[in-house]
Amino acid sequence: MSQAAAPTQEAQPQTRRGSGLRSPWTALIAFAVVFIALYPVLSDDLYYQNMIILSLVFAIGASGLNIITGYAGYVSLGQGAFLGLGAYTTAILSTKVGADPFVWVPAAGLLTGLVAAFLGVVAMRARGHSFVILTIAFLFLVQLVATNLKSLTNGTGGLTLAIPTWSPEYANWPFYYALFAILAGSLLMSWWIRRVKFGMGLIAIREDEDKAATVGVNTRAYKLLGFVASAVFVGMAGAVYGYYLTFIDPAGMFNILLSVQIILSLLLGGRATLWGPVLGAFIIEPLNEITNNEFGGNTRLLIFGGLLALVVLFLPRGIIPSVQRWLGERRTRGKAGVVGQRLDGRIEIQERQPPSPAASVSDKPLLEVKGLEKHFGGVHAIDGCSFAVPEGSITALIGPNGSGKTTAFNLIDGTMTPQAGEVWFDGQRIDAKRPWARAHLGLGRTFQITRLFREMTVLENLVAPLRSFSLRQLTAGAVSGSEAKRAAELLDFVGMGAYIDQPAHALSYGQQKLVELAQVLMLDPKLIMLDEPAGGINPTLIARLGETIRELNAQGKTFLIVEHNMPFVLGLCMPVLVLARGKRIAQGGPDEIQRDPQVLDAYLGEDFVLEQAVKA
Amino acid sequence: MAAPQARIPGIPLTELAQTLILGLLVGGVYALLASGLTLIFGVMNVINIAHGAFLILAAFLTYSLWTAIGLDPLLAIFITTPAMFAFGWLLYNGTVRKIRKAPVAASVLLTFGLALVLEGLMGSIWGNTSHSVRPSYANESFEIGSLFLPKAQVFGGIVALIVLAGLYLMLTRTWTGRAIRASAVNPQGAELVGVSVASVAALTFAVGVATAGAGGSIVSVLYPFLPGSHYQWIARLLGIIVLGGMGSLPGALLGALALGVAETITAVYISPAWATGVPYLFVFVVLLLRPQGLLGSRLREDVATA
Repeated sequence: MSQAAAPTQEAQPQTRRGSGLRSPWTALIAFAVVFIALYPVLSDDLYYQNMIILSLVFAIGASGLNIITGYAGYVSLGQGAFLGLGAYTTAILSTKVGADPFVWVPAAGLLTGLVAAFLGVVAMRARGHSFVILTIAFLFLVQLVATNLKSLTNGTGGLTLAIPTWSPEYANWPFYYALFAILAGSLLMSWWIRRVKFGMGLIAIREDEDKAATVGVNTRAYKLLGFVASAVFVGMAGAVYGYYLTFIDPAGMFNILLSVQIILSLLLGGRATLWGPVLGAFIIEPLNEITNNEFGGNTRLLIFGGLLALVVLFLPRGIIPSVQRWLGERRTRGKAGVVGQRLDGRIEIQERQPPSPAASVSDKPLLEVKGLEKHFGGVHAIDGCSFAVPEGSITALIGPNGSGKTTAFNLIDGTMTPQAGEVWFDGQRIDAKRPWARAHLGLGRTFQITRLFREMTVLENLVAPLRSFSLRQLTAGAVSGSEAKRAAELLDFVGMGAYIDQPAHALSYGQQKLVELAQVLMLDPKLIMLDEPAGGINPTLIARLGETIRELNAQGKTFLIVEHNMPFVLGLCMPVLVLARGKRIAQGGPDEIQRDPQVLDAYLGEDFVLEQAVKA
Repeated sequence: MAAPQARIPGIPLTELAQTLILGLLVGGVYALLASGLTLIFGVMNVINIAHGAFLILAAFLTYSLWTAIGLDPLLAIFITTPAMFAFGWLLYNGTVRKIRKAPVAASVLLTFGLALVLEGLMGSIWGNTSHSVRPSYANESFEIGSLFLPKAQVFGGIVALIVLAGLYLMLTRTWTGRAIRASAVNPQGAELVGVSVASVAALTFAVGVATAGAGGSIVSVLYPFLPGSHYQWIARLLGIIVLGGMGSLPGALLGALALGVAETITAVYISPAWATGVPYLFVFVVLLLRPQGLLGSRLREDVATA
């Protein structure tokens, strides 16, 4: 177990920067782990052994919960149900089939994993708020089933497990070390997940699920696997826990207070940290013992309810992240952050070649939209819209506000599904494909309002996009060397190289736009869709952006750009598509568009004369 | 406990009619309770898990008024509703306000904590035993042809619909109501036209809790209750608003009536023991087949993070 403690210093990218924290922190963890490992040998005080055993159960529950709640951001109030399921599996199998309950521990893990997978299938379409309701319903439903399926569970009468057969000399050792081993396995998994693509994807889901899907993260598979991962070890722990208790009943095993205490352990210790759930569990469980013995039911509710409310209100990050943050702030006090600094000398403004000749625009459409329809109630946002984006072109999509431009983007990238119509991309029909599948085919987009993964660094944001999905990919390192190199190149390309280690939320809006462009480029897409790339960006940067687009176009990228900045659009794009009331009303070169009476009427206005405006 | 009265011997059609009517009456009470919950979610994206605890608190207040001064539980509404309104307003400003900008999950955890605190407080004050309010009409029934309709259910259902109608008028006919609806649809837009979304949120929370006040008084006559009953109630109400579409008032009404009928039918034709499972089943089926619920709409999410 002491080996398991050593790598934790890297499990949290934040601590990597906090070098002052590392060694005492590791020493503290190592000491605690060794102490708990040796406790039954050192002392035969059953009161404290019992306390540690239950703390281990809580810790496994919280550490599992950390995968789905800490990493993926889906709060579950039903985690206790997995403990109960594991306990019931073992109890039923060992009484009906026979054999020592310990034999059935893996079966309990397996069954719990399967149930979690089923729940994951239901939850896959649910978002944060419905997910939490689902987990509550799940807990109550299992409890109801355990109460009503008397033939299997003996209802409220409960089940009694066999008395342990080993020599009384060993007392609780088998339970103690079984749980210790399960916790070690759970922590190892948690540590590993955080270091591979799987964990990166889960965190991307936590930060912005739709965005994650558009950059190629198969959010459904990730969530499903995350949910299974969060349950398996908990089911195994439940099996041992049930055996330890020797008596289980629905009211005790599926008590919602247990789930509350598990989530409280996670919140208190610190979400998305390796050791937070363990720390929290070793605070909450002893507190539970004390309040139970000293005060009884109602006061216990007051204390845990109050504690939950207080943690949410005043310590939302939990102990470990708060301490890390505090230490970090103490270290960097008085130093300006990179984001606000002048960058003279930091960025080399590259001598740009004169705009390369535009890539040859072929007649073949790369993207084709046919008869697309999207209604929101009575609003026909997209109303029988058809257009094509020629391969190799920089196509503009313009139109008045509310004409359906962003909705068109959402339908093309799969964020929304159309009621009718077809979307063809690179010779394939894609309107039934999921957003990540479209990203894998080579479709990349940015958002009108930037959507970076805020808690990640710029580098992590850039390596989050995935060009494919496979089980093997899940286990690949989160940031590989080649990816980091490419990310650095792309950041330099958009002039954001100096910010590579900054957290995304610290960047200004314009900076975020550029990083988002680099992020999309990581996908190496054939078609890049930009939603108002010049909005909120200063004129110099707009000019740079135009050059960047031309350069990428010369390398063979096709662009579809929604933009209101007319000089920018008309100077850059060919052809220009004009959308009004959900339909394409015109298309053609910039000159034609400016003279088109329909366009002038719908969008540009009678007095729009670009040439004069520019000259003046 | 969801089985309102035992089955009446007679021809099956009468039994079915009786079951449906009872289901609809119960559904009316559910609708009132769920409307407050869905309103709070719609306006401020807060899932108020303490809603069940609020209604049980109101039921206990009704109980105390009834035992202390003999006040009829349905008249107690005039006291519990404003009392719970004030309580909700204070609680909002003391706690929920702080996490207004946090993700939905934070509100779930916070209100869950509040629910536990309330459960503990109620247990300390009234004890953890089952209570019920039994006015004289609690054991009487209306006989219409061959139908037996318990008076408590009929009165409860009617009162619930009256309060619900009052809520509807408040939301559609008053400036406050329009401000609440505006804040629900578009908070930024509402701010721009001079609605203080922060105070509207406090008001909405209080109104939502007040519906739990009125509903709790009605519930005290219909069902026995104890502090721990709030879990079952919140599960039921969540099932309703998930079915109807979260944030949708008409959806809550529809979902409540559907659940009332489905529970009653399950209790009569399958087993009262499984009736409590109906709302959980609703949650599963809805999330599998139509995650946005019956009347909910899928919001445009690309700009929602602004």
